Amino acid sequence: MSRSANILIVLLAAISYLLILGPILLVVVTAFSPTDFFAFPPRGISLRWFETFFATEELRSAFWLSLELALAAATLATVAGTLAALAVARRRGVIAGILQGLFLAPLVFPTIILGLALLLFYKVIGGVPIFLGLLIAHTVVGAPFAIRSILASLQTFDPALEEAGQSLGAGPLRTFFLVTLPIIWPGIVSGWMFAFIVSFGELNTALFLTGPGVTTLPIEIFSYLQFQGGQLVIAAASAVQVALIVAIVFAVERVVGLARLVRSE
Amino acid sequence: MARPSLISGAAIPRRLLAGALLLPPLALFLAFFVGPLVYLFWVSLHSASQTALYGHQLTLEHYAQAFTDPFYLLIIRRTLLAAGAILGLCLVLGYATAYLIAPLPPRRRLWFLLLLLFPLMVSNVVRAYGWITILGRQGVINTLFRGLGISDAPLPLLYSFGAVAFGLMTILLPYMIISITNNLAAMERQYHEAAQSLGANPFRAFIHVILPLSSPGIASGMLLVFLLTMSAYVTATLLGGPRAKILVSLVYDSVTVFEWPRAAALAFVLLLLALAIAGLILLVLRPGRVQGRG
Repeated sequence: MSRSANILIVLLAAISYLLILGPILLVVVTAFSPTDFFAFPPRGISLRWFETFFATEELRSAFWLSLELALAAATLATVAGTLAALAVARRRGVIAGILQGLFLAPLVFPTIILGLALLLFYKVIGGVPIFLGLLIAHTVVGAPFAIRSILASLQTFDPALEEAGQSLGAGPLRTFFLVTLPIIWPGIVSGWMFAFIVSFGELNTALFLTGPGVTTLPIEIFSYLQFQGGQLVIAAASAVQVALIVAIVFAVERVVGLARLVRSE
Repeated sequence: MARPSLISGAAIPRRLLAGALLLPPLALFLAFFVGPLVYLFWVSLHSASQTALYGHQLTLEHYAQAFTDPFYLLIIRRTLLAAGAILGLCLVLGYATAYLIAPLPPRRRLWFLLLLLFPLMVSNVVRAYGWITILGRQGVINTLFRGLGISDAPLPLLYSFGAVAFGLMTILLPYMIISITNNLAAMERQYHEAAQSLGANPFRAFIHVILPLSSPGIASGMLLVFLLTMSAYVTATLLGGPRAKILVSLVYDSVTVFEWPRAAALAFVLLLLALAIAGLILLVLRPGRVQGRG
């Protein structure tokens, strides 16, 4: 490529990274504002909005609900996802293809439709407690992320190892825990992480399924922005969201390594 | 997912085991994914009701309305226009970025990809909020313009079609970059060199060799970006306000007034449109032709 073409490509790439990362960085910086309203550039540094965040009952409870929900949904999604991945990886042909398509469908399916469908479904079966309803939705939305990650680590897994374990007299359960699990567990850990993060930021299904007094942090941020815009406590709430994700990504990176983390997405 | 065939003696218990493994996730997906969607479709075929979720009469009126009512048609056109603009910009910015980071040494490439993966993990509501602080009346751009004396009155940048399309584009751009980067990184460098050694200039080598070979990456990036555009209710609401609604906003609006059959029908119109355009993308890019699959 010629020199000017190279400059153009570098410029476009720099613009891309700026447009992708800029808004998030701006929100995090805003969270430390000392002023009552958004001011650019910031007039100093303060933690007052974080104090307000943790002192505001509805925001704090939304944060805890999101955390509990994400922990529970990610764990359920990972258990279901491990079973699904093991079952799909052991099959061949059309049925394996259909199953894999079904299990991975929510990755590309417009989840807003799933939210509406679940809302009506819960109504027709006579009502479901809000937390349980959210838990089911977040599990279905998060499971494909776990399944994809675990399938990826099963692809490099040699089934002869399982056969060796079984021919030495171990039952299927023992073989799984002593042979299969130790080999595929990095895939399981990063799958759990993706399911957790997806649940923690989930909007499209939660939009329909939260209720009065029982709401998740992203939905609470959304309604604040929609109806009480300009409140900087929302920047603090967003920064807490970002900080938690950074912490989890770094913890998982320590455990499974950068290559697996990036590739499994 | 082809697996080497298993020892025949172990085959039967293994099949049983695989069946037992399959049961819990399959039940979860049938009960809470497939089932509710089938029920939603059933609801969409009924007349409205004041008292129940839906009336007794079977009807296609909600579907007919979506494709004939001028207001709905306007919104559908706007949705497709937004999707087109988003896809075009994502393709240009995404391809350039991928072209730059794909040839990097693996370790450095991973770090650049992690910088793109991380924003995808942050909730869209936070990322849309970032754009509000940039485009709002007291936002970064208006503050700068006032400071530089370009304009006194704040520009109405937010709550517009442009804000929705541009904001959503930046939110979804990482998917495009990651897809194309993975594709380009896996591509043999020799193709490029072979084309050049046969006398093609770098530009021709790119157009006739690299670009066609990267169609699987472009296709998967486009599919992801497009399908996520279609259900981006929160981003569209925060950046577009009531004046720049897209199709998904109509689904939600129908829910807020308890028009369940109409909401259901609009949801399936959205799905139909999504599948049609996704099919079109695959038809035009034909990712299967690479590696002799098509």
